[in-house]
Amino acid sequence: MKNIILSMIICSNLLFAFDVDDLNQLKEEGDCPMCNLSYADLSNMDLSMSDLNDANLSHANLTDTLAHKANFTNSDLSDAIFVRSNIKGASFVNAILQDVDFTEARIWKGNFSQAKIDNCNFNDSALGSAIFKDNNLTNSTFNGAILYKTIFKKSVIGIPK
Amino acid sequence: MKFFILFFTSALLLFANGLQFEHDFDKALQKAKEENKEVMMMYSATWCPECNYMKDVVFKNKKVSTYLEKHFIVLLLDIQKDTLPKGFEYPGIPVFFFVDVNSKEKSKIIGGSKAKIFLQKLKAVQ
Repeated sequence: MKNIILSMIICSNLLFAFDVDDLNQLKEEGDCPMCNLSYADLSNMDLSMSDLNDANLSHANLTDTLAHKANFTNSDLSDAIFVRSNIKGASFVNAILQDVDFTEARIWKGNFSQAKIDNCNFNDSALGSAIFKDNNLTNSTFNGAILYKTIFKKSVIGIPK
Repeated sequence: MKFFILFFTSALLLFANGLQFEHDFDKALQKAKEENKEVMMMYSATWCPECNYMKDVVFKNKKVSTYLEKHFIVLLLDIQKDTLPKGFEYPGIPVFFFVDVNSKEKSKIIGGSKAKIFLQKLKAVQ
């Protein structure tokens, strides 16, 4: 019996890479800095103004999420999904953005300064007045994106593959 | 003589091209009744980049402006100067309300988009 309970606990930990307490904190308080939310399903949630500074959000699903002015500073967003999310004014300063899917996301005034951007998909996103500073954008795609008054400062922009 | 004809034609075209905006709800509604059109009321702000993109880029797209001119009286209201008429609530800006002749909200488009998509949305609300 003990073995069954033990294996169930191990399995549940494998199923949820994120910390359940952290996810509950985010849902209840709206903020969760330094939390482990890896692989968490945050789709369709309202995370406006949420503080997710230094959080682990790798592989997290934020499809159709509303996150106006959310703070993703220093967070790990590797392989996260932001498809159709509304993240106006969100801060991605110094965040790890590897293989992130921002397709059709609304990122007006988003701040990507010093973010480690690698192989991200910004296709058909709205990046008006967003700030890209000190980024390497050579292997990320921006097909059909709105780049109205978008600021590219000290960023490397390469020839598309 | 040819120069003057060309000059006047160019000048006429230049003035005819711009989409006309109204800034008063009652006036816009009256005009819509007279011209058998609907009112499209945009609620926006000067500090909102998404709103400015719509005004600076999308409304200047020929297909969009032609469609708007044909079907709507375009009313621009500013969040810092104007309060919305009674019965209208906004979830954020920019928002585009489509108003019937009885001053009631018929439908709305929330948020800006590229010209092609905005045109599709306009056709869908018609």
